[in-house]
Amino acid sequence: MSKNQIIPPESYPQMVSKSEAARISRALRSPEAIQHGNRVIEDASHALREGVRDYVRALETVIGDHRQTYEKAHEIRGFAETAGLAAAGRIADGLCGYFDEMEKLGAKPDRNVIALHVSAIARAAYAEDEAIRMGNMVAKELATLVQRKLAETAAGN
Amino acid sequence: MRGLLRSLLNSAGMHDIHEAADGSAALAVLAARKCDFILCDLAMQPMDGLEFTREVRRSKISANPFVPIIMVSGYTEKRRVEAARDAGVTEFLAKPVTSQSLYSRIAEIMERPRAFIRSASYFGPDRRRKATENYAGPWRRQDDMHDLEVQ
Repeated sequence: MSKNQIIPPESYPQMVSKSEAARISRALRSPEAIQHGNRVIEDASHALREGVRDYVRALETVIGDHRQTYEKAHEIRGFAETAGLAAAGRIADGLCGYFDEMEKLGAKPDRNVIALHVSAIARAAYAEDEAIRMGNMVAKELATLVQRKLAETAAGN
Repeated sequence: MRGLLRSLLNSAGMHDIHEAADGSAALAVLAARKCDFILCDLAMQPMDGLEFTREVRRSKISANPFVPIIMVSGYTEKRRVEAARDAGVTEFLAKPVTSQSLYSRIAEIMERPRAFIRSASYFGPDRRRKATENYAGPWRRQDDMHDLEVQ
């Protein structure tokens, strides 16, 4: 039987020396670096929102195609929150979760559940201030709906 | 997303950054330049993040099979994270990305470089994350002690 080999970090080339690594790590973990980074995200938020909205528009056009709907929703859940559209991201995450669970159950996703999610994502992606709170409530309601639908599907199997 | 990551890296003082649109293009960059670490997405086409990682780790022509790979992904289900780990990813960064989550992953790969394991079926960072210094067993496999060789 061939032996498994452990290669310790000292046996292969490292990016920087240990002391330099410690210095850079401290700088990366510092509140200043994180605040700078947060400002970068804030500065990019307008462009990011437009990017999310482009995906939302694309999502609305592919609603009958499950694979493409999943792909677009996945992109939205990936960076909606970074763009400051947390509710849209949460609802998109719920939709992806619904697809994943239905796949596990070997069942076809319900068209109405998908349509409700897509419509809610679109509204949340354009929401401002007070409407964001509404989007969070919608995300919770849709999560409850998905749980009920999954339970019904599992019971039907 | 690539633009945002670049801006976040710039903000932390990292300016020598090379972008690639997919796995194949990234392999070409790696062949041409020495990179300190890689940030890659799981969902890329035509070569996805897992295949790319396996190429970096196991290809005979890989420029640096030890290079740390941070996989960025919105797929956070356990099976996907395990697939990334089994492909040889060093760190997993779940979307949504924050400056804190990105910087802490980079700090982690610098502060605590991982041992690598070479076996018949795997080459990559040690997948056991927590080493207990005084751990005397029980070992997970009966033949652990026979099959282990520290380089």
